[in-house]
Amino acid sequence: MHKNNFVERSIMGALSFLKESIFADEYALRKGFLQSLDPRIKTVTFMLFIVQIILAKHTLILLCLYALCLLLTHISKINLGFFLKRTWIFIPLFSLFIAIPALFSIFTPGEALAAFNLIGLKFTITRQGLSGAALFVMRVITSVSFAVLLNITTRHFELLKVLRILKIPQIFVMTVGMCYRYVYLFVEIIENTYIAVKSRVGTKIHYKSGQRLAAWNMAFLWQRSHQLNEEVYKAMLSRGYRGEPASLDDFTVKTKDWLWASLAVIIFVLTAYFDYWLKA
Amino acid sequence: MHIPDGYLGPTTCGLFYAVMLPIWTIASRIVKKTLKAKQVPMLAIGAAFSFVVMMFNIPIPGGSTGHAVGGVLVAILLGPWAACIAITVALVVQALLFGDGGITAIGANCFNMAFVLPFAGYYAYKAISHNPRVDSNRKMIAAGAAGYIGINAAAFLAGVEFGMQPLLHHTANGQALYCPYGLKIAISTMAGEHLLIFGWVEAIVTALVVKYLQKQSPELF
Repeated sequence: MHKNNFVERSIMGALSFLKESIFADEYALRKGFLQSLDPRIKTVTFMLFIVQIILAKHTLILLCLYALCLLLTHISKINLGFFLKRTWIFIPLFSLFIAIPALFSIFTPGEALAAFNLIGLKFTITRQGLSGAALFVMRVITSVSFAVLLNITTRHFELLKVLRILKIPQIFVMTVGMCYRYVYLFVEIIENTYIAVKSRVGTKIHYKSGQRLAAWNMAFLWQRSHQLNEEVYKAMLSRGYRGEPASLDDFTVKTKDWLWASLAVIIFVLTAYFDYWLKA
Repeated sequence: MHIPDGYLGPTTCGLFYAVMLPIWTIASRIVKKTLKAKQVPMLAIGAAFSFVVMMFNIPIPGGSTGHAVGGVLVAILLGPWAACIAITVALVVQALLFGDGGITAIGANCFNMAFVLPFAGYYAYKAISHNPRVDSNRKMIAAGAAGYIGINAAAFLAGVEFGMQPLLHHTANGQALYCPYGLKIAISTMAGEHLLIFGWVEAIVTALVVKYLQKQSPELF
């Protein structure tokens, strides 16, 4: 299989998107700790953690928060291997890669920690470069991990309903919800189109023809979207849409949720306190 | 182009949320006024379209592939304010549900990709095409140029945002707290790759899609 081929890559991309969504839904349905929490409380506490990650100035604080994230993953019955793979690929690995030059004195001048010669050039790793790069990568992986943990332990439609408590206008919330559903429909259309292309044309296509093919598919998708708009509006009218969207509110907050919220606030305050007092 | 969490400091993240808030308010007012009730689902469909456009792999010379952002295309088809809402929604769904782009960086990502990109692209398209016939080649060329201009404007701003971090946030001994590269490196990297590669992918895709739609659905223009 030519993984570099755009037809194959499009099919693989659509398939992995759908596969990941199915996995995420399966994890969200498990009876673990985070899955049992009220989505509103869980989202607010996770936002609190992510804000704390952005504010933290010390790698140690970020390591503690990352350990907390892995602990939450474990007690939420999520396979650690799956979680690490899902979170490290692609953003943190990319961040690790771009942080490497920052280790050296050319980009980050400062106190020399180690030096070596490579192809006749002297490279010096600085203390500022090393701690800056470590802090940067830890910050990225910790925040990505919390964001992923939130979206794989919460059913997506519940997460979308949570947007309402953030006082986001209903038109945005409704659009987000509808967009989410259409994404799946469109991804399926892309997958089917490219499978059809592969079966009728093959995968060896000159790049110029390939560009025309991809653009034609986008144009076709837009045309279908336009036609769909009419049908969706009729469906909305038939279900009682009067210009203002209405939604059901069936969340319930339990004692366990309040306990978790209190614990999250304590963790937030403690990490902020230690981050302030730790030496740079 | 999607800035993840951890690349930008709290001041930058807060600033871009503050900048985007009035833009979102104005966009929703304008769209509510101009969009007929019948077209409400079009916003969601436009958002889903912006989301999946990035999933189309575009072959580039040398056997590799790239992808387009499609923001200018959505702006040409829906208008810049509706595109602003549609792309914002796509970015929120990507950040919140699929971990693509940071939650704290939604403000900055929306400023670059849901505001600067569609507006710069849309007005460039209007200026270059200058009301020609529906089937004119000028529309297609204008769309390509607009795609190139829009994505490069957004990439340049993302470079500025990255490059500002070592200046805004560092410890007393000079250690960077967020993105570790200064303006010179960040801007030249972001601008360079978009001027040389991704800008052309965006231009080709935008031009070709407009060309096909001119033929197949001229009523859209």
